[in-house]
Amino acid sequence: MSTGSRSLPGQGAVSRRGLLRAGGGLAAATALPAVLTACSGSGGGKVRLVGVADEQQPVTKLVAAYRRSRPGVGFSTSFAPTDQVQTVVRTQLAGGNAPDVHVLYPGSGSAMSMVELAKAGLLADLDDQAWTKTIPKSFDAAYRRDGKTYLYSAGSSVIGAVYNKRVFAEAGVRPPGTWSELLRVCATLKAKGTVPIALGAQTPWVTQLITYALVPNAVYAANPRFDDEMAAGKATFADSGWADALGKYQELQKRGFFNDHPDGTTYEQQTSMVATGKAAMAVQVSSVLANFRQAAASPDDLGMFLFPGGEDASKLWIPAGIVVGLGVSSRARNSAKGRQFVEFLGRQENLNAWAAAVSAIPFSRDSTTRLDPVLTPFLPVIDAGRAVPFMDQRWPNAEVQPAHFAAVQDLLAGRTDVKGALAQMDEAYGKTS
Amino acid sequence: MRAPLNPLRRTGRRDPTVPPRIFVLPALAVYALVVLYPSAAGVVYAFTDWTGVGSFSFVGLANFHTLLGDDRAVHSIGNTLLLTVAVVVAQNLVGLLLALGVHTGIRSRALLRVVFFAPAVVSPVMVAFLWKYVYNPDSGAGLNGVLGAVGLGGLRQDWLGDPSLTLWSVAAMVVWQYAGYSMVIFLAGLQDVPPELQEAARIDGAGTWQRFRYVTWPLLAPALTVNLMLSTIGGLKLFDQVYAATDGGPGTASETLSTVLYKEAFVYGKFGYSTAVALVLALFVAAVSLVQLHYLRAREVAA
Repeated sequence: MSTGSRSLPGQGAVSRRGLLRAGGGLAAATALPAVLTACSGSGGGKVRLVGVADEQQPVTKLVAAYRRSRPGVGFSTSFAPTDQVQTVVRTQLAGGNAPDVHVLYPGSGSAMSMVELAKAGLLADLDDQAWTKTIPKSFDAAYRRDGKTYLYSAGSSVIGAVYNKRVFAEAGVRPPGTWSELLRVCATLKAKGTVPIALGAQTPWVTQLITYALVPNAVYAANPRFDDEMAAGKATFADSGWADALGKYQELQKRGFFNDHPDGTTYEQQTSMVATGKAAMAVQVSSVLANFRQAAASPDDLGMFLFPGGEDASKLWIPAGIVVGLGVSSRARNSAKGRQFVEFLGRQENLNAWAAAVSAIPFSRDSTTRLDPVLTPFLPVIDAGRAVPFMDQRWPNAEVQPAHFAAVQDLLAGRTDVKGALAQMDEAYGKTS
Repeated sequence: MRAPLNPLRRTGRRDPTVPPRIFVLPALAVYALVVLYPSAAGVVYAFTDWTGVGSFSFVGLANFHTLLGDDRAVHSIGNTLLLTVAVVVAQNLVGLLLALGVHTGIRSRALLRVVFFAPAVVSPVMVAFLWKYVYNPDSGAGLNGVLGAVGLGGLRQDWLGDPSLTLWSVAAMVVWQYAGYSMVIFLAGLQDVPPELQEAARIDGAGTWQRFRYVTWPLLAPALTVNLMLSTIGGLKLFDQVYAATDGGPGTASETLSTVLYKEAFVYGKFGYSTAVALVLALFVAAVSLVQLHYLRAREVAA
């Protein structure tokens, strides 16, 4: 299916700014939610920074640290949920009124991703900064486009099972190491009257996590070049290990290992279920651990283990995705000051601080790096090269991920099967970006 | 109901009680500047492949061709129409019943009017979040908890998670919010019904239902016109509640044309295509409204 976004041959491109001069620019100004308009006016000499809520804690802390060393530099920061920020920042970018530093997603596959914005020439190249030299080559697709670095991100978060240790102990079970063990543990928990796996699939982004946890073993363990084959049109979701992964997802539901009505349950309810012991575990990304800990009676009640998608505990593969970061606008008024701030963020102690705030693993580590203890089981797997980026970070357009959300919700509701779900994803993958 | 002829119009002199039309200019200028002009200028993008950032090319009618073959958009039009019909019928029926209820001599009528109207002034997104708690699928929480407590446990549902129910759950939420708004408009209409007509009908032996059917209902025609128009336009453009409560899910079960155009623009980065969808939606709403207005005005005259 065509998307209607293809240029007709022989027609010249028009500059958006040129058209805005002719009219229509006010639409951008009137579209901004009140929460963010405070930073959209004249910032004077201040560095304007717009981030997502997930970044608020590390950014606030590091802005304060930066200002201690450079008190003359003022900041105007604002944070909001992902969808709102995405709407506003894209509008500002289009209107030539971009913040100096703004949220940026790694790789491609999102309307606010590094590739999408770099392609439009809206990002400053950060290659002259020392920290960019320490980014592992394997992370190129997330941080770089055409050999130039555009993204600042502290490192990777992992997907695994966040579990309630108390509930596990009461049921007499331990974190499983293989898929078969996982099924046995879930059966035991279910028999004890506990929901084995809490699933808040009404919140779209939660739907993808179980698939992401299973796909590394089902796909990349056998074929690490799967993304390249997909890009070349030599592979499809439907005829790959994705079918096994979604099949296992469905098996967990058929065995009654999820809470009732996962499609009507939200992420907040999922969090509460695990934190209060109503459910034993939830497949989640490590960066939300702080929310689970806040909801629990004691943060020590919670641990994390590799969600085993395979049968060999010593050869499990895991998803480890670069966390949402920041980009510097190439056209903003104070983009030079923004670059200096990002250079400061690239220092090892600041990478460590940001990563610690979101339970992530810094892309470069030294003796000063202190990781969240729950991440310990994941490190050997990452160091052994058995970690793959979150799948969407290599997808060619922003439609595949929402198609995946919808496919999983339909699968859970019994409105489609694995084949139908993957056909929806293949169709979305085939669209032009 | 025609306005009485103005005798001054025939003499060519301006009626001193009617303010000159020039007074509307400042407000009109602001409205034109922040609404009409950007909207009109935005139409250009419907014929481009603009992604929301960077440059773009003109693609003629390609976006409209795509829309015709876009299963998701077509499916969302069906949902939008279903949702609109449900909201228009239920909101006006409930609004009318509430209006009739508080148009009586009961002492608490002033308080009840405020209570019933209150949800209409709350932000739709807030209402959606509130109702997410009401629709909690847990058997002991929200609406399911109440049903269980009154012995109707068999009626418990996964209100927002069951694809066959989601649309109707959203419709109920919208009706709850705006029925009070319709009530206020019907109340204004009821206050225009001359008491002597009701009295004459009563003396002629008309019962309650007959007085409503043959006296009140025909005279409510102008209020009904306003209510039907507003609820139809609101239903066709419904976005906030759907987006906040279900995000168009599960799957695409509650996707409306408004959520589709929002996602096309801000999630998929297809501003050109999204503007084409928005243009079609605007024309569709205008066409439906004009047809409705023509029919209802004719009905008012007949009444």
